[in-house]
Amino acid sequence: MKKKTYLGKLSVLITMLVVVLLPLGAQGAKATQTDISYFSGRVETVEWDTQQVENFEKLNPTIKVEYEFQKDASNVIKVKLASGQVPDVTTVVTQDFIDNGLFMDLSDQPFWDRILPSVKDLCTDLKTGKQYKVATNITMGGLFYNKQIFKELGLKDAQNWKEFVANLEAVKKAYPNKTPLFLGGKDSWTLGHLIEFWAHGVAKQQLGIPGSRQAFLDNAVRWDAPNGIMENFAKALLELRDKHLINSDAITATYDNQKEAFASGEAVMINQGMWVVGDIIKLNPKMETNIGFGPFPSVVAGLKPMVLSSEDSVYAVSATTKSPDAVLTFLDYLFQPEVQKSFSETRGIPSAFVDVDANWSPIKDDATRLVNSYVNINFSTEAPSGLSVDDTGRLIQKLLHGDYASPAQFAKEYQKIWDSAYATSN
Amino acid sequence: MLPATSKNRFLHPNTGSWHRYMAVPALVLFSLFFLYPLSRGVWTSFTAWDGFSTPKFIGLANYKAFFQDSRALRDIQNTVLFALGSAPLLNIAGLLLALLLNRTFKARATVRSLLYLPAVISPMIMGSIWYLLLQPRRGLLAILLQQIGYEATSNWMLSGSSAMLVIVLVNVWQYAGMTMIIYLAGLQAIPIEHFEAAELEGASRGNIFRFIVLPQLTPALKINVITNIIGSLAVFDAILALTDGGPGYDTESLSIYIMRMSYGNKTGYSTAVALILFFIILVPVLFSLKFFNAKEKT
Amino acid sequence: MMKKRDTLDYPLYPVVLLIALLALIPFFFLLILALKSPEGGLSSIRLIPDFNWSNFPSAWKAGSLGKAMINNTIMTGGGIVVLIFLSSMAGYTIARFPSVLNKTIFAILLACMMIPGIINTVPLYTLLIRLRGINTYWAMIFVMATNALPFAVFLYSAFIRSIPISLEESAIIDGCSWFGAFWKITMPLLGPVTSSVVILQGVGMWNNYAQAVFFLQDKAHRNIPLAVSLFFQQYGANWPLMAAAATLGLLPAALMFLFFQRFFISGITTGSIKG
Repeated sequence: MKKKTYLGKLSVLITMLVVVLLPLGAQGAKATQTDISYFSGRVETVEWDTQQVENFEKLNPTIKVEYEFQKDASNVIKVKLASGQVPDVTTVVTQDFIDNGLFMDLSDQPFWDRILPSVKDLCTDLKTGKQYKVATNITMGGLFYNKQIFKELGLKDAQNWKEFVANLEAVKKAYPNKTPLFLGGKDSWTLGHLIEFWAHGVAKQQLGIPGSRQAFLDNAVRWDAPNGIMENFAKALLELRDKHLINSDAITATYDNQKEAFASGEAVMINQGMWVVGDIIKLNPKMETNIGFGPFPSVVAGLKPMVLSSEDSVYAVSATTKSPDAVLTFLDYLFQPEVQKSFSETRGIPSAFVDVDANWSPIKDDATRLVNSYVNINFSTEAPSGLSVDDTGRLIQKLLHGDYASPAQFAKEYQKIWDSAYATSN
Repeated sequence: MLPATSKNRFLHPNTGSWHRYMAVPALVLFSLFFLYPLSRGVWTSFTAWDGFSTPKFIGLANYKAFFQDSRALRDIQNTVLFALGSAPLLNIAGLLLALLLNRTFKARATVRSLLYLPAVISPMIMGSIWYLLLQPRRGLLAILLQQIGYEATSNWMLSGSSAMLVIVLVNVWQYAGMTMIIYLAGLQAIPIEHFEAAELEGASRGNIFRFIVLPQLTPALKINVITNIIGSLAVFDAILALTDGGPGYDTESLSIYIMRMSYGNKTGYSTAVALILFFIILVPVLFSLKFFNAKEKT
Repeated sequence: MMKKRDTLDYPLYPVVLLIALLALIPFFFLLILALKSPEGGLSSIRLIPDFNWSNFPSAWKAGSLGKAMINNTIMTGGGIVVLIFLSSMAGYTIARFPSVLNKTIFAILLACMMIPGIINTVPLYTLLIRLRGINTYWAMIFVMATNALPFAVFLYSAFIRSIPISLEESAIIDGCSWFGAFWKITMPLLGPVTSSVVILQGVGMWNNYAQAVFFLQDKAHRNIPLAVSLFFQQYGANWPLMAAAATLGLLPAALMFLFFQRFFISGITTGSIKG
């Protein structure tokens, strides 16, 4: 018995010594290493990011990248910021954060020479004229349509609302069991995107992109103006609903339903962004040659059709980072042409770099044609940051559900929540 | 019932007095990781904080704004409606299941495990599966019914009350097992002698239940009633997973609203709403406590 | 005599069967989803699974479920131990010695059970940063135990009240301290209660997402709910893999229940009750 306790005490003592001495030993190795934190909300490219971090660390042994990704990144980062923990590099950037001076000024960085001027414009903070974020890609959104059916019925890109409705009615007449335009309303962000593309798009066309961005910042757009944007938008949606041109279960159908309906041919048109292409082809490989991509019409008369073409895959650097050189080295690595080519192809969206030529999607040609032929609008990065597409989408759920006495009332409520969100950030 | 606390102090001269402080370690942990953050959280309810920049003190403005917030007031209605359905049903279902599964039969362990299983899986995933089954027109149940010729004319999700009913049922399905477990613990704690004595005296099943089982179940009842009230008024995952609070805000609960406000740059306001929710929960809980403490004294 | 009233009446067997089936149905579909092939999407789900077993190893690998399981076990196990230790002691003294201190503690714990946890998120995060608790097991263990404390104390105090104090008093006459009497006499009698706490709160700890998302940031400390959440993309989700990951993730918790539930069967019909 005595021997056991003696051994026991000895081993405890040794363990304690080891535990105490180990961190001391480790500190020696840390002295020459720089740590930077990379916080990402891009769940789709987790493997790609992990791989790049690995490659980068191999090439730069003195820099360690702490890569953290979160699905709820935009929420998690707020908690981090509230505790004074700004990530060195992050993909979550909002106007609010920029206004609070959280990010480093990247305007003088050399990589801008390789990026499309239009993308640089979109990355410019209107209040200061500087760039606090950089975007490596462009994403697009519009109306995806079933090429075969369009060809069969002789339909073309609608140039205005009337033609759009006519297209849908032609589809309905020829195929009563198919859905001309499929909405996945239970996932309210898909409806929020309808507002973003169709409604906000009108303001952007009317005011131009720099003009509309400024107007959003100043809260100068009157959404509820009589016969204005929101009233016409509501009228347009209600027209589609009442003429049975959208699925009758628009409010309870999901984004998955929408993708599957399009992939199987049950839905002839959907309003979506490019990210959906890969999923559709996975669901039904035959769709690869059958996905058409076109603009969406204006809900306000007299304007041209539009396509969403906006900056994507953004990065920002903390203004208070302890290792600016390490961070910029990391970014320089990521922005190399070969690395960006693989990113572009992994994500299936075009690159913003002029020297990257990637085969990023089957709709590449359609996309180029649209950018050149129609009015390009961007994502509303200057909209009040407390208002998400989920929030605005819920208003459309109410609209389709019949909760509003009139389109004008819808417009009023939209203005109200916009104003309320604007007030909290200013 | 035999006394739970001792009035006989003279019985134990040398037992020391630090047994009275056995709750202090728990208090210390709780103070550090709950009370301290709570105090700071409460302070933000008096500010117009957006969640990340410096907060601005605005006094009671948040609380005043709450009572003019039609969406919040509607959410109270939704939440209370849900709780009125869910809490009683959970208790009844849990008790019935416990009574059923207190008897011995071959596969008892397996069945108990099966009933407990729903509570083990995350409500978000379960909600998605239920939606797969129950989705109007496209869900598996709807497709099955269509194949036998029955086409539902109405969409259960489109009406706030029918949607709420479905959410209540799914919630009961998920958590009845938990309630059952506590009742089982209570039933198991009843000494067999009580049953034997009652049968010797020729008591009927119903009377055995009323006069032996029910009083002994008071602790379990107390816990389940109060826990289910709190859980039902704080409902979050169950609704989010099935209807996302929709259509519109028709099934949105107060907890969901708090979360959305918190991440919608209205963190200060959301904290105030959270404290108001606390008071909403406090009222029925206090009533229940008073009721059960009175019962225990008999 | 005991057997007669203790066994289930035959007519009730179909009822039990029905209830068991009802509980099973969504799990059946969870399995079907987990076995689904990538083509066709959710609308192609039928009653017969696709038997795409490769989803399981894919999900295991993609979500690093092995490490996540280990993390979960460490944190849930640690949390339960801390919880049982602290809450049983607290429940005991609150039930037996209603001093002002104990009554106040009980009131505080009960009140806090009704407070929506989201209030604490940011201040707790800041606190943990200062304590260097982010990405550690110990911080998560303490936070989860804290969250479970009110319910556990509530449970213990309520059930201890129904155990006659004479049991401990007889031990004390024999020379035990109150503390000793608690551990040697009362605790063993609380088998069902302790099992309940372990099962009910253990599940909450096993499935913790709300705290884990903030406090477990790096891959090495990721727990199972975080790993499963990875299958949610920005737009949409990879349902088959997620279902596979969720199925794997719930197996340990289900097994834990199977193990603990036999403590319900053990009665407390030991001779000492006759006191």
